[in-house]
Amino acid sequence: MAMRNAYIDQFPKEARVIRAILWSSFLALTIGGTLGLIQGLHRTNVLRFIPSQDYYTVLTAHGVLLVITFTIFFLVGIFTWAVTTSLDRGVKDIRFTWGWYAIMMIGTLLVGVSILGGVVDQIPMNADVLYTFYSPFQAHPAFYVGFVLFVVGTWLAGFDWFRTWWAWKKDNPDERIPLPTFMALTTMLFWYLSSIGVAISILAFLLPWSLGIIDSVNPLLTRTLFWFFGHPVVYFWLMPAYMLWYTMLPKLSGGKLFSDPLARVVFVLFLILSTPVGIHHQYLDPGIAEGFKFIAMTNTMFLLLPSLLTAFTVVASMEHGARQRGGKGYLSWLKALPWRDPAFTGMALAGLMFAAGGFSGMINAGLSINYLVHNSWWVVGHFHLTVGTAAALTFMAASYWFIPQLTGKEIWNRSLGLVQVVLWFIGMTFMSNAMHRAGLFGMPRRTAEPQYQGFDFEPAVGTVAEIDAQVALGAALLTLSVYLFITNMVLTTIGGSTSDAIPDNTYAGTLSGPEDAPVIIDNLKLWTSIAVVLVIIAYSLPLASIIDAGGLFGPGIDPWKPSVVADPSLVLESVRGVMP
Amino acid sequence: MSSAIEKGVDGKHPTNETDQVRELDHDEYDPIGTAILVGIYFLILVALWIFMYFVEFLGNGPTVTGVLLTVVGLA
Ligand code: HEM
Ligand SMILES: [Cu+2]
Repeated sequence: MAMRNAYIDQFPKEARVIRAILWSSFLALTIGGTLGLIQGLHRTNVLRFIPSQDYYTVLTAHGVLLVITFTIFFLVGIFTWAVTTSLDRGVKDIRFTWGWYAIMMIGTLLVGVSILGGVVDQIPMNADVLYTFYSPFQAHPAFYVGFVLFVVGTWLAGFDWFRTWWAWKKDNPDERIPLPTFMALTTMLFWYLSSIGVAISILAFLLPWSLGIIDSVNPLLTRTLFWFFGHPVVYFWLMPAYMLWYTMLPKLSGGKLFSDPLARVVFVLFLILSTPVGIHHQYLDPGIAEGFKFIAMTNTMFLLLPSLLTAFTVVASMEHGARQRGGKGYLSWLKALPWRDPAFTGMALAGLMFAAGGFSGMINAGLSINYLVHNSWWVVGHFHLTVGTAAALTFMAASYWFIPQLTGKEIWNRSLGLVQVVLWFIGMTFMSNAMHRAGLFGMPRRTAEPQYQGFDFEPAVGTVAEIDAQVALGAALLTLSVYLFITNMVLTTIGGSTSDAIPDNTYAGTLSGPEDAPVIIDNLKLWTSIAVVLVIIAYSLPLASIIDAGGLFGPGIDPWKPSVVADPSLVLESVRGVMP
Repeated sequence: MSSAIEKGVDGKHPTNETDQVRELDHDEYDPIGTAILVGIYFLILVALWIFMYFVEFLGNGPTVTGVLLTVVGLA
């Protein structure tokens, strides 16, 4: 038996930080998933054990814990692995790495406690603002401060990886940037660019407003700044998944990455195009001219390209693996893939669901057809396929490979892992297809009780009861899947015994390597400058006209705190408003 | 090159994770199955788009696209 060469053997100090980071991520997933079940049962009226006012606290926590905490903690953990592994050197100073992790944790705690205040009377805070925190919803200042700290933590994490790369470059002046590092750095570049938007929105407007320093904000301005960051953040969730599909899936399939140059082009396209598209989330916002929306739509359609390139490259790499494993025929090679491996199967199923999400995304992206689905449950169905599966299921699946690397222990029960990833796929098929269909007949998202008096939804096919049943069943299967995952991870970590059979810490080789890519591809300064120019083109006029029309600090609008007991006269009035 | 890149069956670091039976290099490999799968995906997309036409335009009244006058804001 050769000496074991897992990540923990090569980088024991880094492995410790990454373990802590991944556990923070898994904890967020477990809590967030549980809240998802509460929502699924509540909305469909299968089981309601919380008051409907508290629904929005739960929904805020679900959104924030899953799309900010779970995903981004996983990202910083996996990028730390990617940079150190592919550069073959540790981080410069491990205390700095612990430092940014601590800042992210403090941010998370502040955000978490302020949201929790919405349901716990002892905590004099509340932040029922949903994860988009649109004004005039107002949160306790701790929520905004926590959010900013979390983002600052990610900025420092990026700096950590950049300086590890700079140090490597000094020692290896003539080498191409290894692919995983290239992916981490390009991702961070568009993250820096885009998170400036949310930083301005919070630091210049929302935080001073919630502290009472300024009286009001311009809701359209803070919303636009949010989406300036809010679309790139969806790629921030996806990029670690893409990295895993490019660098791990080919290897797990028994093959090589089809093309390293193509993978680099894809990440460059994301760097350039992720940010100047955010207005596609605001197709229905009055106050932004149709022309700007049209530009956002055009950029968005271009952004389909790198995802389609990815579909091709990744599937071609899997096919290469299958054929090396003896697979034959036009499609029967699919049978030669290692379907018993939860890491492989989970990632492959995640990719398949992403292809389905690609379709609903194209519908969302169309300026006119978006009117049909805007703010409906269709959208929720869509992003449970993308971030909720393409990213989330990939992360869970990859953990079956990573946790042994980070702990030196075998997975407690790999068959259970296989059951877990398949269960996620089945649960999401139920929940997401039902949500899409519900959206088509106009069922709204973010609604505790979408049951109305004197009005019935009219599905073209099926019934509302059947759709509700699918959502509730899907939600139950998904939550069960989360629990199976976390059980497996806990038992692996505390119960499992150290093993010598852990595979080497390697990532996929390439059929066509970086030497086939023009050197200009690695010119990060060039691509960043182009990204900045595109952002200026896409955003300067819309922002100017928003400020011109509504003022920098907006017309005086009173903050609205949804959790405060509703004013009875207001309720009466709004009921009268909808009565015929 | 980075030492962490997997070498494959004849490389220095065989991994015990896969059951390779042969080595296919760049020129021997033709991703025909991938082309077929991509083609199928494309056909599904087209079919779904046609389906959306029925949902959008026949299921509901027209929203943005209407007669010319409403588009240019004259009616
Ligand atoms: C156990 C698995 C899950 C279940 C049962 C679940 C269920 C739900 C339900 C029913 C809603 C709709 C609430 C409404 O519109 O009123 C929702 C919203 C949402 N979910 Fe999930 N979900 C799960 C996992 C995830 C994952 C893994 C992610 C992302 C990584 C995610 C992200 C979101 C987001 C961002 C929202 C929207 C929040 C908002 O509107 O503010 N969910 N979820
Ligand atoms: Cu978007």
